[in-house]
Amino acid sequence: MNAPSGADVVVDDVSKSFGRIAALRGVSLRLKPGEAVAMAGRSGSGKSTLLALIGGLERPDTGRVLIDGQPIWAQPRPARARREVVGFVFQRHLLLGALSARANVEVPLIGAGAHRAARHERAMSLLEEVGLADRAEHLPSELSGGERQRVAVARALANEPRLLLADEPTGALDSVTSERVFDLLFRLRDRLGMTLFVVSYDRSVGDRADRAITLTDGQIDSEHPPAGR
Amino acid sequence: MLAIISTNLTRRAARTVLTASGIAVGVATIVALLSFTQGLRETAAGLVHLGGSDLGVFQANVADPTASILPEAMVGRLAAQPQIARATPLLLLVEAVRGDPSAIVFGADPRGFFTASLVLTAGRRAGATPGRIMVGERLAAKLKLRVGGSVTVKGRSYTVAGIYHSGIFFEDYGAVMDLAQAQTLSGHAGEETDVVVRLTEGTRAADAAKAIERAFSGVQVITDPQQALRAGANSTLISKAILVIVVIALIVGSISVANTMAMSIMERQGELGLLSTVGWSPTRIALLILGEGVAVSLLGAAAGLLVGVLGGRLLVSALGVSAYVSPSITAWGLGRGLLVGVAIGVLGGIYPAWRVTRMTPLRALAGT
Ligand SMILES: Nc1ncnc2c1ncn2[C@@H]1O[C@H](COP(=O)(O)OP(=O)(O)OP(=O)(O)O)[C@@H](O)[C@H]1O
Ligand SMILES: [Mg+2]
Repeated sequence: MNAPSGADVVVDDVSKSFGRIAALRGVSLRLKPGEAVAMAGRSGSGKSTLLALIGGLERPDTGRVLIDGQPIWAQPRPARARREVVGFVFQRHLLLGALSARANVEVPLIGAGAHRAARHERAMSLLEEVGLADRAEHLPSELSGGERQRVAVARALANEPRLLLADEPTGALDSVTSERVFDLLFRLRDRLGMTLFVVSYDRSVGDRADRAITLTDGQIDSEHPPAGR
Repeated sequence: MLAIISTNLTRRAARTVLTASGIAVGVATIVALLSFTQGLRETAAGLVHLGGSDLGVFQANVADPTASILPEAMVGRLAAQPQIARATPLLLLVEAVRGDPSAIVFGADPRGFFTASLVLTAGRRAGATPGRIMVGERLAAKLKLRVGGSVTVKGRSYTVAGIYHSGIFFEDYGAVMDLAQAQTLSGHAGEETDVVVRLTEGTRAADAAKAIERAFSGVQVITDPQQALRAGANSTLISKAILVIVVIALIVGSISVANTMAMSIMERQGELGLLSTVGWSPTRIALLILGEGVAVSLLGAAAGLLVGVLGGRLLVSALGVSAYVSPSITAWGLGRGLLVGVAIGVLGGIYPAWRVTRMTPLRALAGT
């Protein structure tokens, strides 16, 4: 696998409301290439919304999101930017239940128009990367929660993203399994050099990240380097 | 992509089957009716070239060509036309033969070319001898008739003088008697059903038809099976019924596909949102949904084709026209059934596909 360099993300005074609810209020943030940043915050504080804006799933009301200096929404096709730059991992694994682990990892590659043989090979190497090569042909229902989430991580990596966005990726897992998934994410960051932005309530994740921020009521209220650094 | 479509459909097999069978019913009806009209058309082809004629002259505006009535004098006037080499009158008696109401009895001039074109396989020609009849080989086989045996026509018994072959279905499945006797028997003295005509060398049937219709008012000239079909009210009705059914099938089918798909996208918001986050373009996601709609309707259409082929037979026997008409399945008939199926899928898939492109993935994905 070629090591893609990390994306440079600039969130510039971004606000987003849903009806009368102001989900984000003037958030500015910079993720340096290859940096791992953890975000905590109470439920409803706007974490998922911020991730969606950075990943180009939602459009900000005001302000800009720049990836490598390019505003993501100014591009003619945000889907293409998502495909080429961003990988997502969510709390729910969202694997397609009828497809094998391998086929699930291939889904983004189908979107990118890759050929069958190439897809197959890449999916296998990704499953190996997350330690599930031997479970490739299993259905999600035949995998444990942690394994499913690792398949979801492999899927997020399929298009060699330079920015990995993880929204409470272990929210549905027990602490030991969570630990392993975070190990995987940080190890991948170390090895592949992508920028990593993780939402988690877990303090220890904040400690492992290069930087931790807290979101309160749609605003970043504290930014603190992790303890011991 | 195809794999995803097929797994999505198999995962909700019951729903897929229900939607597909709705479509199948529509497609089956269409195919059955089409095979029936095709059968009618082929039947009409048989009626057009009776006695090896080039065209037939009938009374205009009748419900069905067999109901036509022309005055006997027509023959002589027609024969005087320059394009016409020979003309001979026919009187058709339908539902006249005891034992097989679908057989037609042709009253024909024994000296005309119609009678002359029959090839005797047994016995002799009946000529104008009273009480004598000739029977086509198919009808003879069906009713187990031999030369010298008797057959009852309109309640009167006739002796079988000969058995003939002509190669034209209705003639072989019918009987031929002297025109004058047929007229007396049916109470149509001095009348005939139609005049069959052979044209002079080099005359085109269509040109002759125009000339004849111009020269004689109140007649219609039937030169091809299509026309024979249009001349019959039944077949016109069926063509209209097909159109109506196609429209209904399209509307009902596509609503049902749209409904199924809309339900399925609501349930799969997470999954579809995910496709968007992994960089599937809205177009591709829409195609996925559209593809599912088309796949369901293709399934339905395939089942419908099968049922329709069988249904065509049922329709024919239900309408009691099995001797006149055998359903005829053509590639184009099946093709149209299939086309309707695909159209249903596309129409029904458009709305949900469009809906999917409008969905914002965030809520569905973040869902805690
Ligand atoms: N599509 C939407 N429509 C309406 N309101 C929304 C939508 N998305 C988010 N919100 C609202 O915006 C606010 C922030 O939501 P968001 O999902 O970003 O919070 P969060 O920090 O991720 O919470 P959690 O920890 O529970 O996941 C909430 O009040 C939420 O109800
Ligand atoms: Mg959230």
